[in-house]
Amino acid sequence: MMDRNTIKDTGILEQYLLGELSEEQSTEVENILKKDKELREYFSKMEDDMEQMAFENAITPPTHIKTAILNEVENSNLVAKEKVIPSQKRKRVSYNFAIAASLAALFLLSSGWLYNQWKNTERTMITLQKETNDLQNRLVNLEDNYKETEKWYQAINKPEVVQLLLKGNEKSPNSAAIAYVNHQNKEVILNPKGLSKLKNDKTYQMWADVNGEMIDMGVISANQEMITMKYIENAASLNITIEPAGGNDHPTVEQLISNVYL
Amino acid sequence: MKDDLELIKKLQNQDSYALSKVYDLYSGALYGIILRMCKDEPLAQDLLQETFMKIWQKSHTYNPDKGKFFTWSYRIARNITLNSLRKKNVLIQNEDLSVYKDRSTSEAEKDTLELDGSLKKLEPHHQKALELVYFNGLTHREAHEEMDVPLGTFKSYIKQALKKLRESYKEELLVVWIIIEMMR
Repeated sequence: MMDRNTIKDTGILEQYLLGELSEEQSTEVENILKKDKELREYFSKMEDDMEQMAFENAITPPTHIKTAILNEVENSNLVAKEKVIPSQKRKRVSYNFAIAASLAALFLLSSGWLYNQWKNTERTMITLQKETNDLQNRLVNLEDNYKETEKWYQAINKPEVVQLLLKGNEKSPNSAAIAYVNHQNKEVILNPKGLSKLKNDKTYQMWADVNGEMIDMGVISANQEMITMKYIENAASLNITIEPAGGNDHPTVEQLISNVYL
Repeated sequence: MKDDLELIKKLQNQDSYALSKVYDLYSGALYGIILRMCKDEPLAQDLLQETFMKIWQKSHTYNPDKGKFFTWSYRIARNITLNSLRKKNVLIQNEDLSVYKDRSTSEAEKDTLELDGSLKKLEPHHQKALELVYFNGLTHREAHEEMDVPLGTFKSYIKQALKKLRESYKEELLVVWIIIEMMR
């Protein structure tokens, strides 16, 4: 890097002023001048002097030169206005515009595609989640069903369990129920599925005959596959009657539809 | 002389009226330089036209922060002229790329191209040094050979010449100032 005095001494400023320096050197001098105010003032005085010297030695050129220059400028302006520059500009603009537009279009398309993909994925996820929930529910139901069935199966599939068929009499000829009696565990399980449907204000009720007295074993609620009834000791027979909804304290003997002896 | 930045701005905006004004201001000074460099009137006229066309086309590249408008225009005129002379001389001088040797002031042209103004008040060697680099477009290196002095000496000639020039301009300013004062 050159300092102020070397620059003044080397005459590089003069060479710079005259345009003798290479582009690289000129840039260097310009950078130095930019930073050094005093040197810049020194340089602009030099410019003033050189300019004055040129003006003092001016030679007036013939007038036709000015006319020629202005004509040339006007013509080139006209040509430029009519053809060259606008078309070039338009071309460049449209070219740039085309690039920008295609980039924008590309971006738009890819965003659209990505948005679509994302939406699809979201939909698939929701469906999958639903299906998983369904499957889980079904599994829970199946498990419950299985446990229920297993429970009843375990209850009735034992050597000590007696299976009794309660067939409907002439009052309800199509009815049939199955009772499973386990004297060891003191359990009675009834499958009432085969009983004929009753009106809403009526219900079947089960009774045990102990020494001529009918003892309540419970109301047989509708729409059930298996019901646990009360086990009554020393029962001689099992009986089913039709009673008002909610059950009765004493059996309505006229409405007896089935009985079986133990 | 301060630059008319407004005028230059208009020129940079491709205002042909501004070009006309700029031409009126600078054509004489630039023509003086071009003609002294090439010593050929028809050629100098063509080169002046080329110079102003270039000023017109390249005006947007002029940066006032880097120097005066005349300095910038001077460099354009000088380059155009030197390039044209180089082309002309390439045919004659194949080996030597310095093409200016035969362009130093010859006696015959002295009358029309004689330098004037404060330059004339300088000592002959100072005057010659400035003339060679400024009006004849020689590089420092070529000019010191032309004057047959070492480069360092030549550089100090230029420096001293400019210093003297400055002093003489100051005197002139003083005279002008006194005249103005007297008129008030």
